[in-house]
Amino acid sequence: MLLSARNITKSFTGVKALDGVDFDVRPGEVHVLLGENGAGKSTLVKVLAGVHSPDRGTVERSAGTRLAVIHQELTLVPRLSVAENLYLGRPPRRFGIVDKARMRQGAKRLLDRVGLSVDPDTAVEDLGIAQQQMVEIARALDLDAQVLVLDEPTAVLTGTETDRLLDIMADLRGQGVGLVFITHHLDEIRRIADRVTVLRDGRSVGVLPRGASVRRMIELMVGRTISEQYPRRRQDPGEVLLKVDGLTRDGAFHDVSFHVRAGEVVGVAGLVGAGRTEVVRAAFGVDRYDSGRVEVAGEPVPRHDVRAAVRAGLGLVPEDRKGQGLVLTSTVGDNLGLVTLRSTARAGLVDRRGQRERARGMAEALRVKTSGLDQPVRELSGGNQQKVVIGKWLLADPKVLVLDEPTRGVDVGAKVEIYELVNRMTAAGRAVLLVSSDLPEVIGMSDRIVVMAHGRVAGELPAGTTQDKVMALAVQEFPA
Amino acid sequence: MEFRGVAALSALTLALTACGSGTSSGGGGDLTIGLAISTLDNPYFVALKAGAEKAAAELGVELTVVDAQNDATNQVNQVQTFTTQGVKAIVINPVDSKQAAPAAKAAENAAVPLVAVDRSVDEGKVVSEVASDNVQGGTLAAIELGRAVSGQVVHLQGIPGASASRDRGRGFEQGLNSGGIEVVAGQPADFNRAKGLDVMTNLLQANPGVKGVFADNDEMALGAIKALGDRAGKDVQVVGFDGTPDGLTAIENGTMAATIAQQPEVLGRKAVEQAVKAARGETVQEVVDVEVKVVTKKNVAEFRK
Amino acid sequence: MSSTVGSRRVSVREALADNGALAGLLVLVVALSVSAPTFLSTQNLLNVGVQAAVVAVLAFGSTFVIVSGGIDLSVGSVAALSAMVGAWSSAEAGLPGPVALLLGLLTGVVAGLVNGALVSYGRLPAFIATLAMLSVARGLTLVVSQGSPTTTPDVVSFLGSDLTPYLPVPLLVMLVFFGITGFVLSRTYSGRAMYAIGGNEEAARLSGIDTRRQKLVVYALSGLFAAVAGMLLAGRLSSAGPQAAVGYELDAIAAVVIGGASLSGGVGRATGTLVGALVLAVLRNGLNQMQVSPFWQQVVIGAVIALAVLLDTLRRRTR
Repeated sequence: MLLSARNITKSFTGVKALDGVDFDVRPGEVHVLLGENGAGKSTLVKVLAGVHSPDRGTVERSAGTRLAVIHQELTLVPRLSVAENLYLGRPPRRFGIVDKARMRQGAKRLLDRVGLSVDPDTAVEDLGIAQQQMVEIARALDLDAQVLVLDEPTAVLTGTETDRLLDIMADLRGQGVGLVFITHHLDEIRRIADRVTVLRDGRSVGVLPRGASVRRMIELMVGRTISEQYPRRRQDPGEVLLKVDGLTRDGAFHDVSFHVRAGEVVGVAGLVGAGRTEVVRAAFGVDRYDSGRVEVAGEPVPRHDVRAAVRAGLGLVPEDRKGQGLVLTSTVGDNLGLVTLRSTARAGLVDRRGQRERARGMAEALRVKTSGLDQPVRELSGGNQQKVVIGKWLLADPKVLVLDEPTRGVDVGAKVEIYELVNRMTAAGRAVLLVSSDLPEVIGMSDRIVVMAHGRVAGELPAGTTQDKVMALAVQEFPA
Repeated sequence: MEFRGVAALSALTLALTACGSGTSSGGGGDLTIGLAISTLDNPYFVALKAGAEKAAAELGVELTVVDAQNDATNQVNQVQTFTTQGVKAIVINPVDSKQAAPAAKAAENAAVPLVAVDRSVDEGKVVSEVASDNVQGGTLAAIELGRAVSGQVVHLQGIPGASASRDRGRGFEQGLNSGGIEVVAGQPADFNRAKGLDVMTNLLQANPGVKGVFADNDEMALGAIKALGDRAGKDVQVVGFDGTPDGLTAIENGTMAATIAQQPEVLGRKAVEQAVKAARGETVQEVVDVEVKVVTKKNVAEFRK
Repeated sequence: MSSTVGSRRVSVREALADNGALAGLLVLVVALSVSAPTFLSTQNLLNVGVQAAVVAVLAFGSTFVIVSGGIDLSVGSVAALSAMVGAWSSAEAGLPGPVALLLGLLTGVVAGLVNGALVSYGRLPAFIATLAMLSVARGLTLVVSQGSPTTTPDVVSFLGSDLTPYLPVPLLVMLVFFGITGFVLSRTYSGRAMYAIGGNEEAARLSGIDTRRQKLVVYALSGLFAAVAGMLLAGRLSSAGPQAAVGYELDAIAAVVIGGASLSGGVGRATGTLVGALVLAVLRNGLNQMQVSPFWQQVVIGAVIALAVLLDTLRRRTR
């Protein structure tokens, strides 16, 4: 046993975050920690890492065991090179001067170990998120950690990147490293887990062996039975609400055309870097495009003008929830009212009572877990934050809502609730454009799927297609 | 992009050149004198500059004026620039006596004669020093205040640590024993009228029985008069320093008892005269004392010119 | 932070716990009442109010800027320029007083609009744009005044006078602008947009808020408030000075920050700023009355600013 925690109890200002939890890590195993957001996973990790000391209970480590945590929020310095980040605070020195050659060699060796082929001199900010994560893992490995905690590493990865990470994890397991793996992707658990500990409301509600069924995991996690993972209810499609025609921006995307009808959910799949986010941002007026046109319900939408896009009936839930979706310094109520702030104002004065009533109604309808509209939105869990972002758009009642990675970092229970919101929108004759790297989600929730590759539309697939068919289009090469 | 940058820079240079030529005056003469002034934020130095310009015009020399905005480093740079522009003599009105040494050194290296005006240069070669005596002025102020009132007085000080504050304050203390006045409070108001108003208001709360005020400059004295309201010139007598136009007006109105006039215009004039002599190789006077004068209602008309 | 919520009824105890600056102000007042016997008189408290007014009005303008995530270093210079334009228009150009006053206020708005345009359309960092304006406005003040103080028209001097012995006009102006600031921040579209832009400009833009135009409004308001502060200052002296309000921008920023606003934007309230300005005025008034050495006064003021903000930060962290 590398690490063993017994009967851990930890409270914050009277609220029990952990209540008598047992947890241990053996050498050469992947131990998955599963639970909804707010179930106590992060607190448990912090207790294991010694950041928090428990109110009761003990954490024992076998002699010399070192533990490294790879957090969701990466701790790399964006402007520094990969090599400099790998040796941050402890660069190899010669005569007191940083030995760049040795640092580069060492970096190369570490990068090979995680299968990342980038130049060690590349600035970290120039890497994709997946690659940055690999750098972070490589750094932890060099610190000779025997226990590696991975806190939702796959939330930001694409399918192939996830495959590679799972391979590396399997490899590390073979080397005797004990891995604690936190993820919301149940298929990943089935592929790699040796044991699964399920947390709910700060308690350990069960330890499942390898090969436990998805249904069993979900039941334990949410404490009730969820009938369907992807509860899509289809409508008969109506008129075309969003038409994107020949959209082109040099170096980003080329001649992208698709349409979405009333009552439809159209998925947009593709690898990271295929240009999906760039296209929807351009269509929504956030960024410029060189040629092409965008129409909502037959009316052209002017270029590079978010307000005009909003007036035309478009909405965008961006992929970067904290960076682009929420005003973290503000309250739940203020965030919910953000899109409708202008349209409901009279003579420059905000409709305070109306905004509050509508926000309260929306918070209740979406079942946002909050102590009230005045709670700072930063205190909410990821899933509830996402509901707030979606809620602010639902209040504006857009004709077409673009969801860019809407369930990233969101737990299973909240995911299903977000899917139900999608159903409600389409049932009301609205349309949804669903951009997602989560293939089962795109396939499960879309009525049609547009697959992008290298900035172009590689093809369109009907509902009920397979992951293999999507991937075949997504990796397609185009003649230059 | 680069082209635009160049274009913008050239436009800026042109504009600056236009402004620069605006500050030169006199004209006609083959001789250029540089005047490095500490600040033009203050009417006193504006008057000094006017006196210098008048003298330059009369003597037929070109005068280039630069303003250091009370920044000693800035002033050193400006004097250095003068030496490369081929001025034949430099008049410096130091931002700070102690910090003017590098400027003096730069002038000496370029063999350009340097004249100090209003404030001395502590270290370095100066051919002539044209100044009025701040310490003596402070003493005169104390005597004048002692003549006007007896009892408690307050002292509004200039910027803590500035040479004018030090010298005037020192002179004021030296002159105190001559009369029946006692300083009950001394607080800084930074030579600033608005601060003079606030600090005086606050001091009056703590010392309601105050009979007199000495301020290190007229601006603060005028602020104190605002604070005193109707009492100024009746229950409480105020003595200032500098003899600025607003200060003289207050004396005419009877709200200010006296000020110590330094005759900044005379300072500027004499400094330029000495500088021209030095540039032409004539003998210069090493120390030129410009008289400080006590201005009261009796003689105020003499200073209104 | 709860500080972004405008309309909650709170008890006195909650208000104190919620606002470290207010608690600090009370501590300061109690300490001064004990050590300076003349501090706690009606007249002196009115004096403090009057002395706080100029910085308070400047700081209200800066509250808009700081809440929206910017900074305005030019307010002191703009105050001086506006007052000088007002005084010059009347004394030198011979315009009627009220017209001169309006011209002065307009000057502030124009300076603010230039700042706003440089920040939102020119994409200059606010620090740089307003630093440039600090210099330009001060220079223009000198150009207009030719370095000499200029007498203000009666309507401006009225702003610095007493309505009745116990009703100083600067105090009234401060309270009116306090009300305006609170109203703008909590009730208007522009005010709410300031919080959103300061908290997360990208999220605000993606929610359809016209961030550029709103930033223009923010700096224009700051310029207008600076002009009003300049008029107050000149009115109190019946004269606009070329060196008036030098360095006041730092007092204004200090007042806003003492009041609990965050320099990274999205947080701040009118009440906090008012308290911050009062803290500075009480401190200066008390130091004068207690006869603290001039050399130590700046040390004490700096230490109190740091302490006030530190207490506030600690209080937030422990919650």
